[in-house]
Amino acid sequence: MSGWLLRRALQAVATFAVAIALLFVLMRAAPADPLFRLSADRPISQKEIAVLRARYGLDQPIGRQLAAFVGGLVRGDLGVSIEHGRPVTALLAERLPATLLLGGSVLLLNFTVGLWLGVRQAVRRGAREDRWLTTLSLTGYAMPSFWLGLVLAWLVGVEWRLLPAAGMQDPLLSSDAGFLSRTGDVLRHLVLPVLTLSVVSIAATMRYQRAAMLEVLRLPYIVTARAKGLPERVVTWRHAWRNALFPIITLFGLWLPILVSGSVFVEAVFAWPGLGSLAAGAVGSRDYPLLMGASLLVAALVVAGGFLTDVAYALLDPRVRIG
Amino acid sequence: MRAVTQWRSRLTIVAALAGWTSVQAGAQSERGTGIVIVTGQQATTPVPTLMEGAANSVGNLDVVDQLFLRLAELGPKLVTSGDRDFAPALARSWTRRDSTTLVFDLDPRARWHDGVPVTARDVVFTFNRAKNPDIAPRLADLLRQITSVTAAGDSRIVFRFARPYGEQLYDATYHVAPIPAHLLDSIPPDSVGRSSFATNPVGNGPYRWVRSVPGQFVELAAVPDFFLGKAKIERVILRTAAEPSARINLLLSGQADAMDVIPPQFVSRVASDTTLRLISVPSSTMGYLLFNQRDPKNRARPHPILADNRVRRAITLALDRNQLVQAVFGSQGMVPYGPVSQLLWIRQRSPRAEGPNTTEARRLLAATGWGDSDGDGTLDREGRPLRLVLSLPNTSGIRRQMALLIQEQLRRVGVQIELQQLEFPIYIERRSAGDFDVDFSAANQDPSPSGLTQSWTCTGGSNVAGYCDRGVDSLMEQAVRGRGDPGERWLEALKQIEEDAAATFLYAPAFMYAVNRRFRSVTISPQSSWLTLRKWSVSPVPVAGRSK
Amino acid sequence: MTAILETLRSAWRNPRGRAGALLLLIVAIAAVIGPWLLPDPLAQPDILGGSLPPGLGHPFGTDQLSRDVLARVVTGARISLGVALLAVALSVTLGAAVGIVSGYWGGAIDAALMRLVDGALAIPRLFILLLVLAVWERVPVLALILIIGATGWFATSRLVRGEVLRIREEAYVQAAEALGARRRRIIFRHLLPNALGPLLVAATLGVGDVILLEAGLSFLGLGIQPPTPSWGGMILDSREVMVSAPWAGIFPGLAIVITVLSANLFGDALRDAVDPRSA
Repeated sequence: MSGWLLRRALQAVATFAVAIALLFVLMRAAPADPLFRLSADRPISQKEIAVLRARYGLDQPIGRQLAAFVGGLVRGDLGVSIEHGRPVTALLAERLPATLLLGGSVLLLNFTVGLWLGVRQAVRRGAREDRWLTTLSLTGYAMPSFWLGLVLAWLVGVEWRLLPAAGMQDPLLSSDAGFLSRTGDVLRHLVLPVLTLSVVSIAATMRYQRAAMLEVLRLPYIVTARAKGLPERVVTWRHAWRNALFPIITLFGLWLPILVSGSVFVEAVFAWPGLGSLAAGAVGSRDYPLLMGASLLVAALVVAGGFLTDVAYALLDPRVRIG
Repeated sequence: MRAVTQWRSRLTIVAALAGWTSVQAGAQSERGTGIVIVTGQQATTPVPTLMEGAANSVGNLDVVDQLFLRLAELGPKLVTSGDRDFAPALARSWTRRDSTTLVFDLDPRARWHDGVPVTARDVVFTFNRAKNPDIAPRLADLLRQITSVTAAGDSRIVFRFARPYGEQLYDATYHVAPIPAHLLDSIPPDSVGRSSFATNPVGNGPYRWVRSVPGQFVELAAVPDFFLGKAKIERVILRTAAEPSARINLLLSGQADAMDVIPPQFVSRVASDTTLRLISVPSSTMGYLLFNQRDPKNRARPHPILADNRVRRAITLALDRNQLVQAVFGSQGMVPYGPVSQLLWIRQRSPRAEGPNTTEARRLLAATGWGDSDGDGTLDREGRPLRLVLSLPNTSGIRRQMALLIQEQLRRVGVQIELQQLEFPIYIERRSAGDFDVDFSAANQDPSPSGLTQSWTCTGGSNVAGYCDRGVDSLMEQAVRGRGDPGERWLEALKQIEEDAAATFLYAPAFMYAVNRRFRSVTISPQSSWLTLRKWSVSPVPVAGRSK
Repeated sequence: MTAILETLRSAWRNPRGRAGALLLLIVAIAAVIGPWLLPDPLAQPDILGGSLPPGLGHPFGTDQLSRDVLARVVTGARISLGVALLAVALSVTLGAAVGIVSGYWGGAIDAALMRLVDGALAIPRLFILLLVLAVWERVPVLALILIIGATGWFATSRLVRGEVLRIREEAYVQAAEALGARRRRIIFRHLLPNALGPLLVAATLGVGDVILLEAGLSFLGLGIQPPTPSWGGMILDSREVMVSAPWAGIFPGLAIVITVLSANLFGDALRDAVDPRSA
């Protein structure tokens, strides 16, 4: 087992290294200069540009920039953001929790509502309910998250004033407010962004879970269980579902990129202070140390997610370890 | 169907929970004692000497204005020349010793937020840092006329200048506010950005720093014993949302009380919200069509079409600028006279910009030899058509809109305009190299008109069009030096620029701000939005009325 | 070839697949002939008038520059569909090529290629595109298509490789090899036709993905540049007026939903036809 684990871990590291190389090549091979953005309104003197360029190491040849970058990476230093003037690692660390909260809530909804609906569809395959839910899920999957977010923010936040239109918390909440009201405040702000992301992700979850469940329902032991006269409910939730868990573990690894990508738009529209809005802002200001850092973090999360998925698989099914 | 009813019941439970907690949360927030201002950028390093490069942002400026007092503040008329139109702030008074020396006396009541009194040492320390081009290149350049800043006692500072000129007081007070020496002198200059001072600045202004929640908001609190009078609004929240739609939504949903620079197409929607008051504020922007007087292909030669000032005048006369401004800015726009935004005090005596006169335009064009020999609608001369390329960046929706209208208006007099929308860095590159026929430029001006020398003097660093009029140079020089009446000198320079038809000055808009009607005595400073916040008052009872 | 026709036919027989195919056809026809019948999407006849709600003269209303929204949505269809089809064609071709080479040749080539695919798959496609487009400022439409296409083949190559590995063991392929058939013949005669089914599914679903991707990029200001109308760009422009002229943003959004939905409906039906177990 430990041999397999080591091999798998090395694989993950190698994958991550490839990702780093790809990212770096993409970014540095381009002609545009991030400092250009600064001369938008006021004329910037050459002297000022020279000082800033030296500060960010942009005047070094590419080879030295790459070496400096990798060296920094090993030390845990991702450079300094051009727009914020602070270390990239600090910025990423600050904003990660908000994205995790958003993503976590969406995952929770997926695991409950999405899973349950997917199983229902598989069990009632071919019925009107199944077809109706399929169309619904495909519609949800087709919605651009930023558009849905804009519409919801406008309708629910501005027109109807039911929920906050943007932000993560009410800044005027007094500092001695209790834990319950603080949590309630964040929950209120969480509803619309989670809803926006959930529509798309639950749709995907339903489809995958349905397919996975269908596979399992065909298996001989399920047929046997039914033949034995066990009630449908027991067959579904006691026996079949557990086996269908495997693809969900895979799905967990797939959800991560979907959620992170979706969060870029949703966080921007709702001013949710997470990684997504940080990345969107970095795009706008061509802040490529920050963009690079954010992309690396996401790649690391995805690779780690894949690795953990494989480990979970291996723990559940010994046959995998030999492969 | 059982599935749907189960769904529904679960949804109801979730909704009820959310509703209950929201009621809880709503009851706890105290709107009456604070103001929430929406901004597009969050303050990153709100320290006056650190605002270089990307840190020279509106986000930082908004906070710096509340935390750090300047020696003296510009008066409401924003007259930067001379010593008269300034109000005491950190300095109680000042005297002019001679034509190159100013002496400031600090207000003895001024204190830093940690209780330590503000002394002359702080001012000297600040200017040492600010005038160092390795630490603060932008500031060092702005302060280059100041040769020395020395303390004469605990509360007296002596400023010496390189030569006599009109804006000495402006230069000494406007660009940088004093920072506390006792907290910063032990920190080397290039570590200040990473020090705890940068994340928790200590100032001497009407508000002190409370906290910054990254990506969300900055909180400030009123200083109880502020020597110029405690601010009536207890808490100031500067709430950040990068997306314009999120900012608008925050304002319209009641989550925020004030917002700057509301886009024109939005104004009517905000106006229909009875809880908000719209305030028109002169803006520092100015848009114009710059005519290249040199041949873009060979800078030593004059431009084949635009070197002739009659052609340039004809283009100006052919454009109905009022209509252009109205179309894009509604009632908030103004056609400027000369390269002057609404922020500059020198526009106060200037005449109105001239209206269109297509007959005269046509006459001028004909007089310079342009006629329509082939009847295709475009004028031509010696076989070449009157065709000009109008360059603009694709980032400005306003310029895009206007360019289309300009194209149409000029087509009617036979001038063919080809629009060239460029990626921003390419646009800047080409403009700096003088590679354009007509450049749709937009300037963001400082309150000091001396910035005009950059673009409109023969040797100005930003003069990319090859415009040169020695008379204008001389007039501007005199105005800057303060010889004669600066206002008049500037006015004459503007008139000459208009006569030379160096450019067609298109728009000088006002910005619309929105502030909740709960707040009284509201004034907005054009050069820095929330500067006068400490003088506002708030009525605790929410104003009745809903949006729409 | 008949296998493909059979797949298409059974997808058509599926009511949802039929609906999807019909909708797609409608959108495509509107995209092709619509712009000729409708007013100029770039015209700004009455800027001072501002945006008008949907009514007789303008079924979808006008936006804040008084441009007809219906005309822009239909012209945007041309751009969005065009970009999607071309980008997907590129992705599918690249994916098939890499998948076949990797699966058939195996060995070190396979290992290296799949390592590259793993690494590329670790970075969400959106982030790669954000990086490339944010740094390479000027991107004409053709370059945009190339970049989107070049980032979409990774999963397809895995899929094709899987198919190739499976088919390679089949008796008739082994027989052909034993008989000394040339590799190219084996590829084009045996491997490729069997992979066409999954490729078609991937292509159809890919169209939906690319439309959403391009819309998202245009929303961030990185995709199709104005004044060329694109659905994402229209939503971007409508952000500020969402509260006063919501139709300017709702209709392009609906257009995206309908098009992607119909592509996915049809793709789903195709998948059911190719692999009936998942129906």
